[in-house]
Amino acid sequence: MPNDIIQEFTKADYKEGFVTDVEQEFIPKGLNEDIVRMISARKEEPEWLLEFRLDALRKWEKMPQPDWAHLDMPEINYQDIIYFAAPKKDKDRPKEIDPKLAETFDKLGIPLKERDVLAGVVAVDAVFDSVSVTTTFRKTLAEKGIIFCSFSEAVKEHPDLVRKYLASVVPASDNYFAALNSAVFSDGSFCYIPKGVRCPMELSSYFRINARGTGQFERTLIVADEDSYVSYMEGCTAPMRDEQQLHAAVVEIIVEKGADVKYSTVQNWYPGDADGKGGILNLVTKRGICKGEGSHLSWTQVETGSAITWKYPSTILKGDFSSSEFYSVAVTNNHQQADTGTKMIHLGRGTKSRIVSKGISAGVSQNSYRGLVRMASGAQNARNYSQCDSLLIGSKCGAHTFPDIRSANPSATVEHEATTSKISEDQLFYCNQRGLDPEEAVGLIVNGYAREVLSRLPMEFAVEAQKLLQVSLEGSVG
Amino acid sequence: MGHGRYIDPIGDTLTHVVGAGERLELEYVVLPGESRDIDVSVDLSGPGAELSLKALYLCKADEKVNFRILVHHRAPGCRSTQLVNGIAGGTSNVTFHGTIVVAPDAQKTEAFQENHNILFSDSAKVETRPQLEIYADDVKCSHGATVGRLNEDELFYMRSRGIPRKEAESLQMISFLTPVIPEGRREEIENAIRSL
Repeated sequence: MPNDIIQEFTKADYKEGFVTDVEQEFIPKGLNEDIVRMISARKEEPEWLLEFRLDALRKWEKMPQPDWAHLDMPEINYQDIIYFAAPKKDKDRPKEIDPKLAETFDKLGIPLKERDVLAGVVAVDAVFDSVSVTTTFRKTLAEKGIIFCSFSEAVKEHPDLVRKYLASVVPASDNYFAALNSAVFSDGSFCYIPKGVRCPMELSSYFRINARGTGQFERTLIVADEDSYVSYMEGCTAPMRDEQQLHAAVVEIIVEKGADVKYSTVQNWYPGDADGKGGILNLVTKRGICKGEGSHLSWTQVETGSAITWKYPSTILKGDFSSSEFYSVAVTNNHQQADTGTKMIHLGRGTKSRIVSKGISAGVSQNSYRGLVRMASGAQNARNYSQCDSLLIGSKCGAHTFPDIRSANPSATVEHEATTSKISEDQLFYCNQRGLDPEEAVGLIVNGYAREVLSRLPMEFAVEAQKLLQVSLEGSVG
Repeated sequence: MGHGRYIDPIGDTLTHVVGAGERLELEYVVLPGESRDIDVSVDLSGPGAELSLKALYLCKADEKVNFRILVHHRAPGCRSTQLVNGIAGGTSNVTFHGTIVVAPDAQKTEAFQENHNILFSDSAKVETRPQLEIYADDVKCSHGATVGRLNEDELFYMRSRGIPRKEAESLQMISFLTPVIPEGRREEIENAIRSL
C-alpha cells in the first residue's frame, strides 16, 4: 500500500510543459566553423569574440566527451542540433516585446513589465531560446552604476569588461561542454556591481527553451567589484517533448576583495515522462573565484528537473580568508539521473568552505553526489566541512556518494560525512497517527529533510522551491 | 565504474567471499618505512554475512601507502564496518579509495566506513575518496572522512600540566589510533608512534 502512495506522489504534472506558438528564425542544423561564424555575424560581434569562438570550436573538436560521471548518457548527435533559434522581431515595432512572449513569461510567473512587479523586488533578464527578450529595471540599477543586461548587449556596450573577464574562470578548454558552449553560446546575462555598491534588489535570469530540435547555450558572467554585494537567482523551464534537448551553459563569477555574491538556482527543466522519454540534458559548468581577501560566494541550488543533470558549481578560494558555501537539494524521480556536487579549491590562507548536499531519489532514478575538496599547500589553517545525505524513496532507485578529499597542508582541516537512508515506517506512522495522509506526511518529512538548504534561498524562491519539491515527488511515497 | 547502472561484478577477481552467517575480520598495519598497496575486495554473498575491517598506517619518510577497498553487499541483512586511521609525516603520500556497493536486493544492509587522517608534516599529502553506491532502499549506510592535525586544545591542556610537547603529541596519536590497533601489537605500535 505505501508503495502505491509513493507512486501517486511521484506522478506529478509538469505545468510549464506548454509550447509558445511564435514565429521563429533558425539557422541550419549542425556544428562547424560556418555555423559559428553565422551565430557571431547574427549577433554582430567584434572580431576578437569570433576568434574566441573559433578557437573554442577547434579545441572542442579534439576533445572526447567525458564519461566518468555515474550517468547512462544517450549518444548525442551534435550535428543534429540547431544552435541558434530566435523569435522573429516585428519589423514595424522592433523595440516592443512580442505579446506572445510576454504572455509566455507571464504564464511562467515572470513579469516582464516593471510596473507589474512590487516596487523594487526582482530585476529579470528573460532569455527565450537563443536570445534575451528583455531585461527589467536596467535604469534603476544604472543609477547605482550597476550593469545588468543581456550578454549580447554587454559585448556591444561594455566590451572592455567582457573581454577582461570572459573565460577567466572557465577557460574555453576547461571541459568538453564548456568548450562547446564557448563556441556556440548565444545569450545570457551579464552583471557588474561596482566598488562598494550593495545591489538594492535581487537580480535574476530566466531561461526558457521553446523551439524543437534546438539546444540552449547561455553564458552568464557576474563580476562583483570590491566590497559589493549581489544576490542572483536563476530559473528555467522547457516544453514537454519526446525528444531530448541539450542545455550546456557556462556561469562565471568573479568576486573581488570583500565582495559577497549569493547565487541561487531553481532548476526545473522538463524531466522527461514517466517512461524516461524526452527531457533536457543539463550539462552545465558553473564556477566562481573568490579573488580578493575576505570575499564570499554562496551557491544554493534546488534541482528537480532535467532527464540528466551534470553540474558541479565550484569555487576557487584564492583570496586569503575568503569563504564559500554550497547548499544543494537534488530530487530525481522516474528515469531521471543526476550527477551533481561541487568543488572547493582552497588556495589562500584561512579559507573556509561548507558543503551541504541533500539528495532525494525516487522511482527508478539515480542520484549521485560528486565533490572535490582540495587543500593546496598554501592553504594555511583552511577549513572545510561537508555533509551529504541521501534519501531513498522506493526500492528501485539508487543513491551514490563520490567525495574526493585532497590535503597537502597539515594545518588544514577537512571533514566529510555522508548518510543514506529511507523514510522510516516509524516516521510515516507517527504522521499518519496524527491525521496526516501518507502523501502529506512524505511532503512534510522531505521538506524537513531539505530545510537547511531551502532556508538559504531568497524568499521569492523558497516558496516556489518548496512547492516544486512536493510536485516532483508526487506519486513516490512508501 | 558503472555508468549509471548497477553492474554485478561477478567475474571480477574477488579476494574474500563471505557466505551466509559468516564473519570476516581483517586487520592491516603499515609501519614507518613501508610502502604498501593494500588492495582488498570483499564480497558479502550470503544473508547475514559480516565484515569488520581495521587498518592503521604510520608514515614518517617518503612512503607511499595506497588503500583500495571494495565492499560489495550482495545479499540481504549483511553488515560491514570499516575503520582506517593513520598518520602521514615526512614527504609521504597516502591515498584511500574505498567503495561500498549495495546491490538492488540487499535490503536491511548496514554499512559503515570511516577514514581519518592526520597530516604531521608540511610536505605530506593525503587523498581520500570514500564512496557509496547504493541500489537498495532499506539500508543504513554512512561514511565519514577527515583530514586534519592534532588538536591544539588537547595539546595545550597536557603541556600546561607539565607533559613535554613530544610526549603529549605521542599520547594524542596513541589515542587516535587505539581503535585500530590489533590485539597484542600495542607495544610495538606505541614504539613506532614515539619514533615519528
